[in-house]
Amino acid sequence: MLSALDRRHTVAPPGYSRWLIPPAALAIHLCIGQVYATSVYKNSLIAHFDTSQTAIGVIFSIAIVMLGLSAAVAGTWVEANGPRKAMFVSACFWAAGFAVGALGIATRQLWLLYLGYGLLGGIGLGIGYISPVSTLIKWFPDRPGLATGLAIMGFGGGAMVASPLSRQLLSFYDPGYDPSNAGSTASGGALVWLFVTLGVGYFLIMMFGVFNVRVPAADWRPAGFDPARVAAKPLVTTANVSAANAVKTRSFWLLWVVLFCNVTAGIGILEQASPMIQDFFRDNGTSAVSVAAAGGFVGLLSLFNMAGRFVWSSTSDVIGRKPIYLVYLGVGMVLYALLALVGQTATALFVLLACVILSFYGGGFATVPAYLRDLFGTFQVGAIHGRLLTAWSAAGIAGPLIVNGFLDAQGKPGTLTAAAYRPALFTMIGLLAVGFLANLLIRPVPERFQEPPADGGGDEGTEPVTAERSGTR
Amino acid sequence: MNEAGPRGQQARLWISWLVVSVLLGYGVVQTLITAAKLFTH
Repeated sequence: MLSALDRRHTVAPPGYSRWLIPPAALAIHLCIGQVYATSVYKNSLIAHFDTSQTAIGVIFSIAIVMLGLSAAVAGTWVEANGPRKAMFVSACFWAAGFAVGALGIATRQLWLLYLGYGLLGGIGLGIGYISPVSTLIKWFPDRPGLATGLAIMGFGGGAMVASPLSRQLLSFYDPGYDPSNAGSTASGGALVWLFVTLGVGYFLIMMFGVFNVRVPAADWRPAGFDPARVAAKPLVTTANVSAANAVKTRSFWLLWVVLFCNVTAGIGILEQASPMIQDFFRDNGTSAVSVAAAGGFVGLLSLFNMAGRFVWSSTSDVIGRKPIYLVYLGVGMVLYALLALVGQTATALFVLLACVILSFYGGGFATVPAYLRDLFGTFQVGAIHGRLLTAWSAAGIAGPLIVNGFLDAQGKPGTLTAAAYRPALFTMIGLLAVGFLANLLIRPVPERFQEPPADGGGDEGTEPVTAERSGTR
Repeated sequence: MNEAGPRGQQARLWISWLVVSVLLGYGVVQTLITAAKLFTH
């Protein structure tokens, strides 16, 4: 029965619409994007386990570390086995994470939550994140930025779905819980049922993606598509580089630095968004921005983060990958400087600057698979993407460390003003400058790293050639 | 032709996009309601 999940059984028959693939990919990313909504029930978990913020925060950290590790380690397996099996495995791990987590909550065993949501769920996250990427790129060789932008937009959208849904489910399972009251916590029973509901619901939605996803036949091309026109663009190759060889190239590591710098700068604002807007407009110890308005600001940032993934990634199909990263990083530096120097003069200006910065943050995530396709071809682009995501894990540690480190030196939370943020913001400008230079230095991959051309051309289409061929050099 | 025929595929396309649109739409509307507090509080 499981053989139905194999790559060879998922080759699309002639006439299969490629527009069925983006919703299949979105079905996966909308579910795993829930990982960014864990703060909704964090206080309830702290109360239930009678433990510290850190002990509960570790669950999220384990999941994100496992995301990076599993994407890097399982990338080649995902390429070899195809998107359907990868999505199925991802759904099983993601749902099992919720099930084991629910058991941990029911029995008050915190380690089971670490093992379930953190470890198992984190593996589901990593495999799920990369599973549709190379398939989308192969279905949309004419518009890879648009295709991957659509899927990765779903990851941003997943948190926007899960946050209100989790609040509503908790109030349904525990009528005493008031989501509008920050001090209110849900009962352990409500948390168990929340985890069970999310696990079952996400599994079903992800199966929808498993059911619909197909890989294109090796000789399939979109109507009117001429690969020669794509190859004529700067930095775009029709040759292929294996994942093992890609990590030996200078361009891979330069792109790693680009992603790391872009994500670190964005995370710095995202992680601190709510207190940051209040601190920027604090006068004589009182902020002009209320807690509720600050929550609204966080919501607005989520929307721009999500929209940027689709808009900027699609734009990269028109203007090219290198120029769009020059915009993310170069214009980003100007926006950060404006935020540091004049951000405190008007709330509207502050909000506008932060929203555009966050749209660049999302755009950086969504455009990177297409950039990898341009540089390394389609052969093992999913596996190469998985390895590159270690930059995300590293940025997830560096961004908050930089911002919190500077803020801790400036004073206590609730007493800070706009001036306290300047050292951190200027450091982010320096980081963006490093990323900008790294992007400028990216060059086409030398021929010695490329796979030997297959019969009839360099692009193998759907099937990976042989396991032996990767890493032969 | 594909497994379900042209009509089946058309239905599958509609259902697929409807499911993800409903999910995303729910998230966007709920987030907009939250974001509105920035301008009303």
